[in-house]
Formats: sequence, structure tokens, C-alpha cells
Amino acid sequence: MPTPSRRTFAVAALAALVLPLSACGSSDDGSGSTDASGKVEGDITFQTWNLRANFKPYFDGLIADFEKKYPGTHVKWIDQPAEGYADKLSADAAGGTLPDVVNVSPDLLAPLVKAGLALDLDKAAAKYRPEYLDGAWTGQQIPGVGGTYAFPWYLNTGPMFYNKGLFKKAGLDPDSPPKTYDELFTDALQMAQKSNGKVATLANVPTVEDFGRYGVELMNKQGTGFAFNDAKGVELLTKYKELYDAKALDPQALTATPESSGKMFLTEAVAMNPGSALDLENFKKQAPNLYKNIGITDQITSTGHVNMYVMGVMVNSRTKHTPAAVAFAHYVTDAQNQMSFAKQVAIFPSTAGSLDDPYFTKEDGTDETRVRIAAAKSLKNAVNYTPVLFSDQMKTALRNEVAKALQGKESPKAALDNAVKACDQLLQQQG
Amino acid sequence: MATSTVSRVRRQLPTSPWLFAVPGLVVTGVFILYPFVSTVVNAFTDRRTLIPGEFVGLANFRELLHDDMFWIGLRNSALYVLGVVPALVLLPLLLALLVQKNIPGIAFFRSAFYTPVVASIVVVGLIWVWLLDERGLVNSLLETIGVGRVGFLSDQWLLLLSAMAVTVWKGLGYYMIIYLAALAHVPRELHEAAAVDGAGAVRRFLTVTVPALRSTMVLVAALSSVAAFKVFSEVYLIAGPTGGPAGEDTTLVMLVQRTGTGLTGRVGYASAISLVVFVVTVALMLLVLRADRREES
Repeated sequence: MPTPSRRTFAVAALAALVLPLSACGSSDDGSGSTDASGKVEGDITFQTWNLRANFKPYFDGLIADFEKKYPGTHVKWIDQPAEGYADKLSADAAGGTLPDVVNVSPDLLAPLVKAGLALDLDKAAAKYRPEYLDGAWTGQQIPGVGGTYAFPWYLNTGPMFYNKGLFKKAGLDPDSPPKTYDELFTDALQMAQKSNGKVATLANVPTVEDFGRYGVELMNKQGTGFAFNDAKGVELLTKYKELYDAKALDPQALTATPESSGKMFLTEAVAMNPGSALDLENFKKQAPNLYKNIGITDQITSTGHVNMYVMGVMVNSRTKHTPAAVAFAHYVTDAQNQMSFAKQVAIFPSTAGSLDDPYFTKEDGTDETRVRIAAAKSLKNAVNYTPVLFSDQMKTALRNEVAKALQGKESPKAALDNAVKACDQLLQQQG
Repeated sequence: MATSTVSRVRRQLPTSPWLFAVPGLVVTGVFILYPFVSTVVNAFTDRRTLIPGEFVGLANFRELLHDDMFWIGLRNSALYVLGVVPALVLLPLLLALLVQKNIPGIAFFRSAFYTPVVASIVVVGLIWVWLLDERGLVNSLLETIGVGRVGFLSDQWLLLLSAMAVTVWKGLGYYMIIYLAALAHVPRELHEAAAVDGAGAVRRFLTVTVPALRSTMVLVAALSSVAAFKVFSEVYLIAGPTGGPAGEDTTLVMLVQRTGTGLTGRVGYASAISLVVFVVTVALMLLVLRADRREES
């Protein structure tokens, strides 16, 4: 018969094991001022997204210059790792500890705006608007909510890398990589056929940006619902299914992460992969053989527009030092500082006229410059295809339905209908 | 003298036992009880990460019933218990019997078997992903011997099995130690008496060792079943953040993480799933204990 002590032990063990399932914070309703016209002073915090490791001297200098320009200010810089950035933001936002000035992308900005945590710059800093590219400024607006909620910071459009050696082996012209999705599908099927399914051309399933670049309408005109289940969307997914069946799309693509697909490209198991200019250095160090054969081309697009990633710097609406926070967010993103940041790393300024600088137009014979000039050129008519309201949960819903279609468990049409239904439901729940 | 000192202290500080318990109570209250109560309350609201919710009654639980992903999570968590628990009850026992004898060099094997327990789950997960990759070591070996490549990381069932294998491999040493401690208390006379009666090694194992270790086996079954039902890390690392192809390898705790975190997390709905995990885990524990009691009586 069990003794009471054993039972007590069991209950205690049970409680310790099963209770800590979740924890939730509470929001702070204290509100700061929206008036940015006062004296620029006080202590503020500035949070960046995975920038300390490579750019510490740049930001230290930037902060020192700001503090010198505005005596009486002190900026505390914190940096968060790339992974889990949204979780960190949500924990801070829910706990009322969101920094005064925060580096965000539009999709991260949207929920913060809806929770009333981002300062409306159309009210607090409208005078700065002419300094930025019009598209970049409006890119920080959230559908259904008036106002602009972040200073546009850097823009990026990653190039597409391809392995010329693998192209050659498959009988494809290594100097003429695919530019449109139709060309990509033809080349990828040939690559899979010639390598007996051993070399895939792609390592990732199509994302919402792929649908955008294929020419699919992602949302309805009112911005109230998703629309990527139209005939064009079904056509794209059907083509990807053909690639998957022919092993032109890697079999592990259904569970791939950007890291795992990057590794596959590095080991020459896939022939094409999106990336950034930073990857070139990585190829040189880790895969010299690949580096010798590396080809660089634009993102695949059938619309003539590549996808543009937009970064912003928002001001916490509950900051106690609104003038200092607005001044610093503007300082980080003004033309001069964006230009000097662009010289540190392959990113592109969102300030008016900056892209016409010789730095973005003049060749010097190096690979890095080639990538930079090509990207700057394509940025001029690039589009941010990621819908601002497309949350992580929606990405998962789309990805799961795409996987079902590729595995043949659902038709492409049914899969996209289900994805749109799930995303619409999530959109409604977001309010 | 000593007794009078104690009673004086007791008189002066009637709350002294509570004072000693305060640190533990505070930690338990803040990190266990408050989150638990908060989870229960949230389960009946439509709370989101940044938006305080309103009371919605049983709406979250009704939604669960129609959520395919919830049923997939429940299925996978249950399969995990069925696959992992028998292995973790039996294999560590056999391992403990192997390393029980004090022979020269046995400490090395004991340490070796225990090493996976102290290794970081992330490192272990990455190593296994590397081994089981389509072009990894295991597939290269299989190809060399003519079996051909196996999609350990692309097939939903193989992915789940691979994650189970990692859980078992990582847990062997831990439960082995528990068994070793219990084996040390099995009276040697019983074995000697059984041997005198002519019982062989297998017979002695079944009639002496197993009955003597029954309560330890129940403890291992209870601990491993609760841990298996709440599995997260192994599946997350091996099947990826998507939970395998089309999320088919998602477990309930992964679903809680995916649903309830991030800036647009549905905290209310995720809390409802957490509550289901809690209830099932308690039920699982009671089931194991009841089975034990029935056998005892």
C-alpha cells in the first residue's frame, strides 16, 4: 500500500513538473507625451536588432556624437540577438519595459501600433518627412490606422546566389541564370533531371514574398482580407509541386530554416539560395571551392520588382523623454548617418537622394561593389511584398498549407483556400 | 537546558518556521503559483500579448475541439508517451544491471552513459540533425551498404521517431542512476536464496529484481511519462520550428509556444491548451499511481 509520504512526494513532483506551463505579464498604461518640441535632454534607451557584434564602434561613435550635440542626454544602447527578437519585444511591451527608441520592421511595428505603444510621427515629427523617400515613409504606416509610426532606416534587397559549377554540370548557361519564375522552373527541372535528383535548385518552400514576386495579389484592395488563393497563386504552387516531385526543390525544404538552407548551399547540395553581401565573406572562408564558382544575380521575379526589406526606428509612445527620443531616432536615420552606416555594411539608405551617391553607382571591380550597385539599382523600383499585417502565426499557417500541397495531401487550390481562411481569421482576431 | 532554549525561541518567535520557509514560498508563489493561476484565468479570456482580453467563457475550449493542429499536437504528445516511456522504464534498468558490478573500469562506462544527460539539449539536437540529415553520416552509411537514403528529417513519422530516439538516448543515464540507487537496496540474500533454489539469471531478474524495483519503476514511468507528454526541445530542434512538414510533428507544448508567443500571440487560447496539457498530465500521473496501487493490493 502506498505510504502517505510517497503520495505526498508524487503530488509534489507532479506539481513541480506540470505547473510551470506559462507565464504572462501585464501591460503598463502609463502614457508619455506626444509633444517632441521641448528641450532635448534626459536618459533614453535605444534597442537594435542584432547589430552589436559587427557594428559596435559605429554605434558607440553615433551615440557619443549625439550626446555631444545635445548635452544633458544620455543614450543607453542595448542590442538583442536576431533569433527571438519578436518575443523579446513582446515581453518588454507586455511588461511595460519597452525601450524609448526601438529598431523594428513594419510587421513587428503593426502590433505595437495597435497596442498604442508607438508614437505617431505624423503628429510628433512631421517636419522630417521630406528627408525620406516617400515610399519608405509610407512603408511605416499601418493599414486601417492613421499616422506613420517609425522613421525609415535602412533598406535591403538580398541578391540571389547561384553555383555556376552546378549550372554548368547540368548543361545550363552559368552566365545566364534564371530571372523569372518561369525560367527558374525550367532550369530547376533540368538540374534535377541531369543530376538524378541529387542536386536541387531551391531549398525553401514559397513564402508570401514569392507569391508577391510571381504577381499574385496578396490582399484585397481594401486591405481587409488575403487574396493569394487566386488562379495565379494556385499556378505558382502547382509549379512548386512539380519541382518538389522532381526533387528540384529539396526534400527537406518543408522543414528548412534560413540557416539550414544556407548550409545546403554552402555544401553544394542546392544550386541557388537568397542571401546578402555579407555571405560572400562566409563563402570565401568556409567554402573556397564554392566561392570560385559563385554567381550573383537579382532575386527571381516575374513582376519586374524585387522584394525590399525595410527597417525602421520607432519611438515608444510612453517614453518620459519624448523630445530626446524623437531627436535620437531622427539622428540615427538622418541622411548623413544612414550614409555612413551604409559604408559599414551592404545596406541602403532610405533618405531622399542618397541612392544617387557615387558609392551606389560607380564600379570599382570588386565583388562587393558589384553586389552593392546591382542591389541599389533594383531597389529603385523594389516593392515591400511582405504585408505589414502578416504575423508569425499567418506565416506558419501559409507554410503548413503549402507543405500539404507539396506532399500531395491537398490540392494547391484547397491548400491556398485553407491558408487564406486561416490568415483572414487571424487578421480578424488581431482587430 | 536545550529544551528550554528551544521553547523560549518558540515563544519569542512563533512565526520562525514560516520565516525559514519564506524564500521557498516566495519563489514558488512568484514562479509557479502565480503563472499557474494566471494561465487558468487567461484560458477563459481572449487575451493577446499586447491586448488585455475579455472573458469569453468556454469559447477557447470550443475552438480547440475544431482546431486540427490541437488534435495533431495531442496525438503526437500521446504517441511520444507510448513510444518513450516503455523504453525509458526498461532500457535504463538493463543498463544499470550492466554497470552495477564493481569491476575495474566500470566507472568509465557509468560516466559515459551519463554524459548525454549533462550535455546541452541544443548541442545534442544539432548533432543528431547533422547525423540524420539527407546527406549526413547515417544516410551516407546506409547508402554505402546499399539501403539508400532515408528521409529521417523529411518524413513526419521518421522525424517523430528520431526525436523519440534522442529523448531515450538522452534520458538513459538519468534513469540508470535512479535504478542503480534502488538496486543497491535489493537484499543480496534474496538473490542468493533464489540461486540456491536453482533460479537462473533471467529467473532471478524477473522474480527478485523486478518485484524489488517495482516502486522505482513506477516512479520512472511517472516521471518519464510527464516529461514525454510535455516534450518540446527535441521535437523543436529535430523537426524544426514548423513542427515537421505541415506541422504534422507539432506537440502540444510546441503549439502553446507557437500560439501564445510573439507580438500577436493569442495568450488566452495558448493558456487553454496549457490547461489541457495540465489536466492530461495529472490524469497520466494518477493513472500510473493507480496502476501501482492496484498491483500492490
